[in-house]
Amino acid sequence: MSILPQLIANSLIAAGTYALIALGFNLIYAATKFFNLAHGAMATAGGYAAFFLLQSFVGINVVLAAALGVLFAGLLGWALDRAVYRELRKRKASNTVLLVASLGVFTVIQAVIAMIFTSQFQTLSGGAADSVYQIGGAAVTETQVIMIAAAVAIAAGLGLLLKKTLLGKEVRAVSDDEEVAKIVGINTERVIGWVFFIGSAIAGLGGILVGFDTGLQPTMGMSLLLRGVIASIVGGVGTVYGAAAGALLLGFVENFGIWKISGEWKDAIAFSLLIVFLVFRPQGIFKR
Amino acid sequence: MLILETKDLSKRYDGVAALDGLSLGIEAGAVTAVIGPNGSGKSTLVNVLSGVAPKTGGRIAVSGVALGRITASDVAAYGITRTFQEVRLFNQMNVMENLLVVLTEKNVFGAILERHAEKHARRAEELLRKVNLWEKRSELAGGLSYGQRKLLEIARALASGADIYLFDEPFAGLFPEMVKIVEGVLVELRREGKTVVLIEHNMDLIRALADRVVVLDGGKLLAEGATAATLGRREVLEAYLGE
Repeated sequence: MSILPQLIANSLIAAGTYALIALGFNLIYAATKFFNLAHGAMATAGGYAAFFLLQSFVGINVVLAAALGVLFAGLLGWALDRAVYRELRKRKASNTVLLVASLGVFTVIQAVIAMIFTSQFQTLSGGAADSVYQIGGAAVTETQVIMIAAAVAIAAGLGLLLKKTLLGKEVRAVSDDEEVAKIVGINTERVIGWVFFIGSAIAGLGGILVGFDTGLQPTMGMSLLLRGVIASIVGGVGTVYGAAAGALLLGFVENFGIWKISGEWKDAIAFSLLIVFLVFRPQGIFKR
Repeated sequence: MLILETKDLSKRYDGVAALDGLSLGIEAGAVTAVIGPNGSGKSTLVNVLSGVAPKTGGRIAVSGVALGRITASDVAAYGITRTFQEVRLFNQMNVMENLLVVLTEKNVFGAILERHAEKHARRAEELLRKVNLWEKRSELAGGLSYGQRKLLEIARALASGADIYLFDEPFAGLFPEMVKIVEGVLVELRREGKTVVLIEHNMDLIRALADRVVVLDGGKLLAEGATAATLGRREVLEAYLGE
């Protein structure tokens, strides 16, 4: 049996995961112009919030637990912006300061999660075993199908949000020129708050789905973040379609790259792709 | 009545005084031209009044209310808007969206649902027709010509419905037909009782449009008053107009 269908399926699943991180990361970058490294911790926090609910309230609906996990991640992102980044912006902190602060936030959240839930690997499960589908010669679980569908739906939804709503126009205005956006009466802090909420909620969903797919660990945020950042840079930092395209390319290059070699080379392949883009096309696939 | 006042206003950049104890008043409902040689502090004055550059010292009062500090986030609430010497548009958006983002109500649910879209679209059309950009409404702002970008920035300022308009060299680099459009905009603003602060070098335009003139020199006030009388003062003629 050919391995090709499974490789394509694995590529799409990986792309879905990376897209769920990269989409929010790029949205936040577009509005704030800094690399929010704490974004990876939003995925972890979302995953563990759903885990906590499923453990604490036996019989709770899995979809409800996941939805509350997504909401928690969104609110956590919004609260972090209010408590940390907004204060730093008020003090005219540089993007480097914001980046370092976000690394600190990431570390704190990861440590708090480890203290509460231990560093042990945990499985996120709704009780029933994940159904497995055979699609075109590839085995794909229900969670993985949801992951791919969610990534596609969210990419399309974000595109519509940015294009069709006032909030979307305000985000693009802040992204273009925050100072002028303020002068014309846009409440830029409210817009940035929304962006953190939406972006972090998407990352939370990513964390929850990864939890159902492969399990949870407090340190999972870093590898998700790295893949999300690579997808963002490859696709084009600050653009929705760039995040989706970058995730797709990264997913395929990683999985096809290890076709004939050991899976341990995956990281090297991902970072090689990053380096190739940084050297030859630093603006990414889609230029802002 | 004075709508904008500064008292001992100063702004320093790395120890260099761009505004140096500037005290002046802007009359409500009038067009006031701010003139002076390069480096006299004209743009700095507009930057400070619009919250783009924080003042180093002194006071600013809007409609008689003294403000401790003025930031870019505050100016819309004070009824102030501005344009820039180097045009600053929302380049990722098309021409129409540049106005709609200013026109639409800015509350939480309005942001999602974008209510009253028709009313705002009509107002945007009216403004774009005024500056002759209606045909360009679907083009990206970043792709417009220099003059068209200037006109769009002016239309965006009009969309804000402000009481005080700070225009930083709105005529610079415009073709004659575009100059006429901007002249028309200023005349209409004055007719509507709005206050206009105009940084401009072209004396013919200033004589035609400005009710009052403020002359700056080295960040200080050299002269102020009615246009003809102020431009006729010997020190102004000798030092700045080369007449």
